[in-house]
Amino acid sequence: MIKTKVTIKNKLGMHARPATMLVKAASKYRSDFKIIKGDMEINGKSIMGVMTLAAEQGSELELVADGVDEEHLIKEITTMFENKFDEE
Amino acid sequence: MKECKGIPVSEGIGIGKAKFVTKPKFEIKKKNISEEEVDSELERFNTNLENVLQEMDYLIQNFSHSKDNQDILHTHKMILTDPEFIAKIEKMISQELMSLEQAIKKHFTDIIAIFNNMENQYYADRSSDYEDVAQRFLKHSMNLKGLDFSKIDKNSIIFVDKISPSEVTRAYECEAQGIVLREGSKNSHSAIIARSMGLPMVVCLGHHDNISENEMVILDGRKGKIFANPDEKTLQKYSKLQEEETTRQKQLQKLKDKEAITKDGQKVGLMSNIEIPEEIVQVIQSNSAGIGLFRTEFLFIDRKNLPTEDEQYKIYKKIAEKISPHPLIIRTIDVGGDKLSSILNIEHELNPNLGCRGIRLSFENIPIFKTQLKAILRANTTGNIKIMFPMVSCVQEVINAKKIIEECKQELEEVNNIEIGAMVEIPSAALNADIIAKECDFLSIGTNDLIQYTLAVDRDNQTVAKYYKPTHPSVLQLIKLTAEKAHKHQVKVAVCGEMASQEEYVGLLLGLGVDELSVSPAKVLSIKEKIRNADIKEQQKRAEKILQMSTAEEVMDFLEKE
Repeated sequence: MIKTKVTIKNKLGMHARPATMLVKAASKYRSDFKIIKGDMEINGKSIMGVMTLAAEQGSELELVADGVDEEHLIKEITTMFENKFDEE
Repeated sequence: MKECKGIPVSEGIGIGKAKFVTKPKFEIKKKNISEEEVDSELERFNTNLENVLQEMDYLIQNFSHSKDNQDILHTHKMILTDPEFIAKIEKMISQELMSLEQAIKKHFTDIIAIFNNMENQYYADRSSDYEDVAQRFLKHSMNLKGLDFSKIDKNSIIFVDKISPSEVTRAYECEAQGIVLREGSKNSHSAIIARSMGLPMVVCLGHHDNISENEMVILDGRKGKIFANPDEKTLQKYSKLQEEETTRQKQLQKLKDKEAITKDGQKVGLMSNIEIPEEIVQVIQSNSAGIGLFRTEFLFIDRKNLPTEDEQYKIYKKIAEKISPHPLIIRTIDVGGDKLSSILNIEHELNPNLGCRGIRLSFENIPIFKTQLKAILRANTTGNIKIMFPMVSCVQEVINAKKIIEECKQELEEVNNIEIGAMVEIPSAALNADIIAKECDFLSIGTNDLIQYTLAVDRDNQTVAKYYKPTHPSVLQLIKLTAEKAHKHQVKVAVCGEMASQEEYVGLLLGLGVDELSVSPAKVLSIKEKIRNADIKEQQKRAEKILQMSTAEEVMDFLEKE
C-alpha cells in the first residue's frame, strides 16, 4: 500500500473536467484507489465520489493505492496534480 | 360566451369540444418488486445502461461541435459507468427490492441533495449534471413518449402548452378541429406543419385558463380568436364561415389538374415545401410540380440520436420515388446548435441566428454532413433529386460544399449526377447572386431569413416582431436583384419562403422576376389561382411602381387596394 499527500493547485479546484481526467486515469489500474479529505474517504475510481469531495484550490488530499500496480497509479495521479490538470 | 384573443398561426375554422392534452406525467408507477423479479430487473438495468451508453458514444463520435460539450458527455458517461453507482443500484434492486426506476430516482435524488448542500456555488451547480443523467436514463427505461392523444377525435379542439411537429401530424390524423397553444409562434415548425395541413391553430398565452374540459369552443385561425360556450349568433356565423370554406376548397379542387400558367402564357413552376415525409400525401393531393424545399431538420431535432445514412437514404428515396418525375430539392441540415440541444447538451450561443447554423454547422461537423450527402446521392436513383445549401453567405461556401460532394461521390459506387443550388437568405448572397449563380444550377430565396437578416429582426421575438416586414422596399429590391443577376447566367430563381405562400404577394414576386414558387401544400391551389389570374407584363410594370415606394406600409396599402 502506498500513501501520499497532494495539494490542489489549479484555480477551479476539482471540478468536472479534472475529476473526469483523474477517474479515467485511475480506472486503468488494477489497484484499489482511495482519496481521503479530512474525515471523508471515497473511491478514487468513482466520479461521483471525487466530485462530492468538492475539493477546492489549496485543499490537501491523501491518496491511497493498494495493489499490484500501485506505484504506477500514484505516479500518474500525482503528476496530474503537479500539472494542475493542464489548467491555470 | 367567453372570448379570448390569441396570435393567429394557421388559418381555418374549428368548432368542437375543448380537450386539454398533457404530457404523460413523469411518474414512477412501480416502486417495488418481488424477489422473483430481481433477476429480470437487474437485466433490465444492464440493457438500459448499455443503450444509454451507446447513445452517448454515438453523440460523442459524431459531434465534434464543441470540445466543452464533448467533455460534458464524457463526464455524464463516467457518471453512468461509476463502479459505486452500479454497485449501489444493484444493491437497491437485489436487497431493498426497489424497481429500477425507483432505485435510479433514489440514487440521483441523494446525490443531488449532497451537491445542493455544498457551500461552493460551482459544486452546487454540478447537481444539474446528475439531473441530466437521471433524466436521460429514465427516458430510456420508461420509454417516455410525447402527448397523450387518446381522447382526441374529429370533434376535438386541442388545448396544449406546446406541441412538436410530429404531434401536429398526429392531431391531423385524429381529424381534430384545431389546436390552441399556450406557447408558440407563427414561424415555429409546428405552425408551418399546421398550415401545410390546413389545421387551424392559435397561440393564446394563458387566456384560456377559464375554459373547461368538454366546453364547446369555436376557433378562428385567421383572426386568432377563441369563443367558449358561444351564443347562438356567433355559432351560426362561424358554422356558415366553415361551410363557405369547405365550398371554396371544393372549388379550388377544380384547379388541381390545370396548369400553373399566367394569362399571358408563362409557365410558373409551382412546387411544395415539406418538413416531414408524411406531408407527401398533401403534396400529391395538391398535384404540385415537385418539392421545392424538403427541410431535413425533423431528422435531427426532437429525437435522441442522430440519423444513420441508411435511415436518411430510405426516407429520401421513398419521397423521390413518390414525386418522380417531378424534382425533389433536398435542403441539407439547417438548424442552429440550439435546436440540437436535446441530443447534444450544446451550450447556448449568445446570438444563434448569427452563429453556427445552416451550412456552417455542416462544415463544422463534416461526418454528419457527409452522411447526409451520401444518403442523398445514393437515394437519387430516379435522377430527380437536387441538393440545396442553406445560409450561404459567399460563393466560396458553395465551392467548398461541391468539393465535399465530389469526395462523397468518390467514396460511393456509381451515382447519378446531381444538380445543386444555394439558398439566398443572407443579403450578401442576394448582392452576389451572379457570382453564386455561376456555381449553381438554381437559386432559391428563403424570404423568412432574408427579411430577418435584412431588417435585423428576430421574427420570434414578440416585442420586435412588428419590424418584420415582407414588403419592406429593401427586401423587394434584394429579390429583384437576385432574379436579375441569376438570369444573367440562365439560372432560375425560386422563392420558397413564407412569402410565396401568401396570395397577396404572388403577382408582386412574379413581377420582380421570380420564376418558381414553392409553397405550403395547403396553399398550392389558391396560389395557382393567383398565378392563373396574373399577367406577367402587367405585374412587371406594377413591380416597377412598387419599387419606387419608400415604406413597407405604402406597399401594403397599394397591394390591398388592388
